[in-house]
Amino acid sequence: MKFRIYRYNPDVDQKPYMQDYELNDVESGMMLLGALLKIKDTIDETLSFRRSCGEGVCGSDSMNINGINGLACITAVAGLKQPVEIRPLPGLPVIRDLIVDMEQFYQNYRDVKPYLVVDDPMPEAELAQTPEQRDKLDGLYECILCACCSTQCPSFWWNPDKYLGPAALLQASRFIEDSRDQATEERLAALEGPFKLFRCHTIMNCVQVCPKGLNPTLAINNIKKKMVKRSL
Amino acid sequence: MYVLHGLRPWLIQRISAVYILIYVVYLAFSIASASNIDFQSWRVWLFHPFNTIAAGLFVLALLMHAWIGIRDIILDYVHNTLARMTAFTLVIIVLAGSGLWCAKILLLSVRAY
Repeated sequence: MKFRIYRYNPDVDQKPYMQDYELNDVESGMMLLGALLKIKDTIDETLSFRRSCGEGVCGSDSMNINGINGLACITAVAGLKQPVEIRPLPGLPVIRDLIVDMEQFYQNYRDVKPYLVVDDPMPEAELAQTPEQRDKLDGLYECILCACCSTQCPSFWWNPDKYLGPAALLQASRFIEDSRDQATEERLAALEGPFKLFRCHTIMNCVQVCPKGLNPTLAINNIKKKMVKRSL
Repeated sequence: MYVLHGLRPWLIQRISAVYILIYVVYLAFSIASASNIDFQSWRVWLFHPFNTIAAGLFVLALLMHAWIGIRDIILDYVHNTLARMTAFTLVIIVLAGSGLWCAKILLLSVRAY
């Protein structure tokens, strides 16, 4: 099986290049991460990429596979067109090979205050929710922050420092929808302006690539609806 | 101007789109049902007070819609502040000029009708 992988080591290379690899013993049912580990073990130990859990839970091995972002550990090699072209996530600075600098992405995540803000004195037991209130968090809390969505979003590519991107906005929605949060008003006010939320042009690349099957576009539209309600 | 806002232009863009759609359908229907298509009957149609006002609102909706759409493109792609300001100014001149020209035509109808 043929692979074409983006290589760049800033200490040695003048500029990035694509390197071809051929792996002969691809087992059936093998995931792309397995193939990459095999290349690293048997062909080229300098190939660098992030990985951790290996089963689509941690979100470390997100990369651009044949033009579409995804997690290598849950992408079966069997269905991929050859040579499988693997690049780092687009739109973020490359540290080495498939490893990108996620700082901008995390900064945007921090910007939405991804934690409960409660002004009232804390109850002695837990903050209770009805089952219906809890249901509103489904499709929002499952995000693993792999950055597949934000780095596939053209609006994030053009304005990564001003537009929060689908992942951060999904989290903004997660706390706006939360019945226990008491900062809804401030959260909605903070997203006003032409950039933070309104650079979203409903391109929906985020929905297409999310490895957890989440829908950031829907979350963004729900925020917009809440903003309209708030202002009228 | 709407450069500094997010929600309001977004909402105006959507509302103006609905009006533009309704007007275009009405315009197409009017042309299709016209007995003869010539300049004189076009004038009579346009200078009917209802059509003058509907066309005036259409021009207004179109200008706002165009401004917000082009503003979005500039905000997406033009990052240099001076270039951005120049682009905004040029767009505003063209749109305001077109709007005044349309206003002139439609206001002349007051005399013609």
